[in-house]
Amino acid sequence: MDIIESKTWVEWIITIAKFGFCFVPVLYILLLIPMERRGAGFMQDRQGPNRSYIKIPFFGKIRVFGYVQNMCDGTKLFFKEMFAPAGVNKVLYYVAPAIPFAIVFLSPCVIPWFGPMVFEWGGQTVRIAGSIVDSDVGVLLLFGFSSLSAYGAVLAGWASKSKYSFLGALRTSSMTISYEVCLGLSMMGVLLLAGSFNLTDIVTWQENHVWGIVAQPVAFFCFLIASIAETGRAPFDVAEGEPELVAGYHTEYGAMQFGLFYMGEYSHICINSFLIATLFLGGYSVPFVTTETMQAHMGGALAILCGVLAFLALAFLHMIYRYSRKLAASKQSNKLEILQEYKLYKIVAWLAAVVFIALGVCAWLFYNPANFIVNGIAVGSLATAVGTALIHLLVLVVKSIMFCWVWIWVRWTLPRFRYDHVMHLGWKIILNIALINLVVTAVIAKLVGGN
Amino acid sequence: MRVIKQKPMTWGERLYIFEALRGLFTTIKHAARGLFRYETLPTISYPEGQPEVRNTYRAKHRLMLRPDGTPRCVACGMCAAACPAHCIFIEATASDDPRIEKKVKRFDIDHLTCVFCGLCVEACPVDALRMDTKEIVFEHRTRDEFVATLETLTAWNPKDYPDDEQSQVAPGGTKNAEARKVWGMEVK
Repeated sequence: MDIIESKTWVEWIITIAKFGFCFVPVLYILLLIPMERRGAGFMQDRQGPNRSYIKIPFFGKIRVFGYVQNMCDGTKLFFKEMFAPAGVNKVLYYVAPAIPFAIVFLSPCVIPWFGPMVFEWGGQTVRIAGSIVDSDVGVLLLFGFSSLSAYGAVLAGWASKSKYSFLGALRTSSMTISYEVCLGLSMMGVLLLAGSFNLTDIVTWQENHVWGIVAQPVAFFCFLIASIAETGRAPFDVAEGEPELVAGYHTEYGAMQFGLFYMGEYSHICINSFLIATLFLGGYSVPFVTTETMQAHMGGALAILCGVLAFLALAFLHMIYRYSRKLAASKQSNKLEILQEYKLYKIVAWLAAVVFIALGVCAWLFYNPANFIVNGIAVGSLATAVGTALIHLLVLVVKSIMFCWVWIWVRWTLPRFRYDHVMHLGWKIILNIALINLVVTAVIAKLVGGN
Repeated sequence: MRVIKQKPMTWGERLYIFEALRGLFTTIKHAARGLFRYETLPTISYPEGQPEVRNTYRAKHRLMLRPDGTPRCVACGMCAAACPAHCIFIEATASDDPRIEKKVKRFDIDHLTCVFCGLCVEACPVDALRMDTKEIVFEHRTRDEFVATLETLTAWNPKDYPDDEQSQVAPGGTKNAEARKVWGMEVK
């Protein structure tokens, strides 16, 4: 029982609650699928899937801007028959899709979701790391996990007993390995500057100096390309090139097994965007504001956060009202139905705007750590730490969503590379640029920093 | 013969990255259009929003009417002869009007067979048949309902063709009264 008594109960609650971050990539899947499908639609001047709906009393058909399509697709995949072709290796065939998806729950454990929480509790200073596992080999652990997902592809391709799957698996594995090298080497410059493999240290270095994207623009670029290639999405999706291989390593899969591969791919994107945001975009740190400044003016910081959220709600309202006007003027026969649906969104957004503004004003006027006393214990520093963590988390999420959008954007813009071009780009161009960048960084760091 | 010479790629184009960025800029413009100007997207959400059809479009047929409401058709059979799909069926009978020899007793167009070529309209010597109804949707429960009969072909409203003089001559049109005077005779 020593280990339990070594920490206070607040510390235990926060430490255990941090495991909830394991589910962030799964939540991102829910975000990314509609973002991808409607984003792709908009880029091609289509509307994207927007027809499925849930019928509720007064407001009628609720479509949530095509979000319901997600649930329909998921339900369909979930209730389809699990089917294995004759001659497959049954065990590996059924295990393979689970591998990339299981990795999803492991990878988030080293990403720092917020800065270390430091607060006073019962007369002693408590420090809780922002990542689930505060490891000194953080980045390496993450790379280890994300390379493991290649096993899913390899096993799927081999167990399927299909030449298309097999070729797809070969391509996937070779491409993953090639680009892992580029990925690791292009990241080295940042690690060199920060002097640590610990992601929290890297973010702290960026907070104190400059963001990785400013210090290492070339490395950022190489890292971005290599990580897009590593997730195996267009323009690097040679592994599932429809013209040559039917669908690559998951040709023989259907139903939720295919769904697992699909979700594994999306959560891989999520993890990689979190990694890029952490390594090159300052991670959880708020631009131009240090954590100390923020903590000193916690009320103001929370007020600004609420203000930004209220602004987003008002911007959303503006878009809804604008489109409602256009729709009311059009000749669509179902416009009254849609306007009725929009009433719900208007109510929700108005409520959100009002609540955010009220919260912001309250935070601005009444936030005072000295006032927070519960049962005679001063919890002011805990409140400050939780507020900081909240702001940090939101900042990180915004940055990563930006990079998720880059994935989608690139996929629907650039045509697929030929396989030898992919290898040429990986081994002869990106790798060399990354190496030269590493050497130059090392020399300059030695000359300037002298350590 | 026209020979198109492909220009060799310039140095910037061969680097690919700048061209890729240009492409990315193009797609983000389109994405922003979809997000912020949704109603300008060319897609029509079909059954609820109808596309704009011009009157030159070869849509469902209609039979033009004389001022007294009888079809202009003289049952000459030219349209049936011109029809490449053999979808027009005409039966003639003696006209009640002494000035006119024949009138049409049965005029059926099978829209399941029709290829909408418009040759019947071209062939008609008396401008009795037109395809300017802008009706492009053919949805019925049975095969028989797809056959347009004399009743359905003549059941159109002159108000739907405000710019067309010939349509206004028909009963209910703005020029029906004076056309009736010129036409002279009331025939039952």
